[in-house]
Parts: sequence; C-alpha cells; structure tokens
Amino acid sequence: MGRLQIAASDAHEGTRTYAPRLGGTWFLRSRGYIRYVLREFSAVPIAVWMLWFLVEIARLKDGPKGYHPHMSPAFVVFSIVCLAFALWHSYTFLSFSGLIMRIPIGDRFVPANFVRGGAYTLLLVVSVLIGWLLVWGGAR
Amino acid sequence: MRRAGPDRVNALLWATFAQCAVITALIVPAHILVQGVLAPLGIVPAFDHKYSTFAAAIGNPLVKIYLLVLFATVFYTFGHRVRYLLTDLVHGYKPLFGAVGYGLAVIGIAAAAYILFTTP
Repeated sequence: MGRLQIAASDAHEGTRTYAPRLGGTWFLRSRGYIRYVLREFSAVPIAVWMLWFLVEIARLKDGPKGYHPHMSPAFVVFSIVCLAFALWHSYTFLSFSGLIMRIPIGDRFVPANFVRGGAYTLLLVVSVLIGWLLVWGGAR
Repeated sequence: MRRAGPDRVNALLWATFAQCAVITALIVPAHILVQGVLAPLGIVPAFDHKYSTFAAAIGNPLVKIYLLVLFATVFYTFGHRVRYLLTDLVHGYKPLFGAVGYGLAVIGIAAAAYILFTTP
C-alpha cells in the first residue's frame, strides 16, 4: 500500500477511503508541483499588495498634510515581487481558457490556442487601458 | 454526512472563484506596475501619488464601486486559494482552512467597503 492508509472506521462500513499521507515537502519532488504551489501561493502577495493599497486609501483621512505616498526603494522591490506573482497568476489562469472555453463553430470548436491567444490579448488591452487611466488620473 | 446529489455550495464557491480569478488576472498587474513600480521610480505619474488627485478619484462614486469590486475579487481569490493551498500542504483540516480562507476574505471585503465608503 506504500504511503496509502485505509481508514479503519470506513472498513467497518463496507467502504474504503484512501487517506494519502504526504509530508509537508511533497511539492519539492517535481518542478510541476513547485509551479502548482507557486500558482496557489500567488494569491497571497497579490492580496498583501492590495491591502497596502487599502491602507493608502484609509490614510487619505489624514488630510493633505498627513498624506505621503510610498516612494522608497524597498516599496518598489516589494511591488516588483508582487508583480511577478500577479503575472504568474495571470499567465497560469488565462492559459486555462483554451481548455475551459469551448466555443462552437458549426460542428467543431474554436482551437484552444486561439482562445488562449485571445485571453492574453485581452490582458494586454485591459492593462494598457487601466494603466492609461491610472497615469491620466495623476497627470491632471 | 452530506446528502446525495450535486454539491451546489461547492459549485457556487468554485464558479465565484473562476470569475474573481479572471478579473484579478486581467486588472491587478496594471495597478501594481503603475502604482508600485513606474510611479515610485518617477517614470510616470499616478493618481495616488498626489493627495489632490487621489482624493478627487476616491471621491468619485464610480471609482469607489470599481475599487470595491477589485478588492472583493482579489480577497475572494485569496481566500479560496488559501483554503486549497493549506489543505494541500497540511492534510486533514479542510473545514478549518475553509473557515480561515473565506473568513479572511469576508473581513477584507468588509474593511474595503467600510474604508471606501467612509473616505470622503
């Protein structure tokens, strides 16, 4: 049975449940597992960065004299790390679109690569639009 | 023991995650790039780097709604992924990790709503 353990309580009920016992470092066994864990973990730095943004908004209550935007090198490094995780989330999640979205054309479907390319193009278009709005809002 | 039939709650949680994760994937990188990297380096201006422009933007109801949606999608994506990440790393506590993940998400969304709608 190797690492698989059969739950004893279930054996009495006529069903057997496999309860895999994996160590805390199971994901280090393969690059695929590491990429998977990094993908799941990417939500944490993204949320932390958004939490910082929320604190910035809350600091507006201090008034014009009490408000100082973060400009330090440490903040830039922190943002670059968060940006890397955000892009990893974008790349991995949008790459699913080719598998998930089945768009029919007659008796066939739009090729997965085409759907995936469309999702990446949408990311580019939305990023340019949001980026332009953020810059435009600061240039007024 | 769960009743036989489709697990509608779990399906709803996953469907919500799919929508939130797509919005996060499309919108968040631009915010981090402009506000967190390019503006602090002085390459471009950004709306949150001057009090006047930041306060004017946050005072707009449409911006408040947009940001609330953005915070909600990011925090929900965080809660859902934390639930499954912890379940994968430490086995046997799935309900607890669900409560932790979704609980943090609810707290984050409530805090965002409170801050956005009490900031003039």
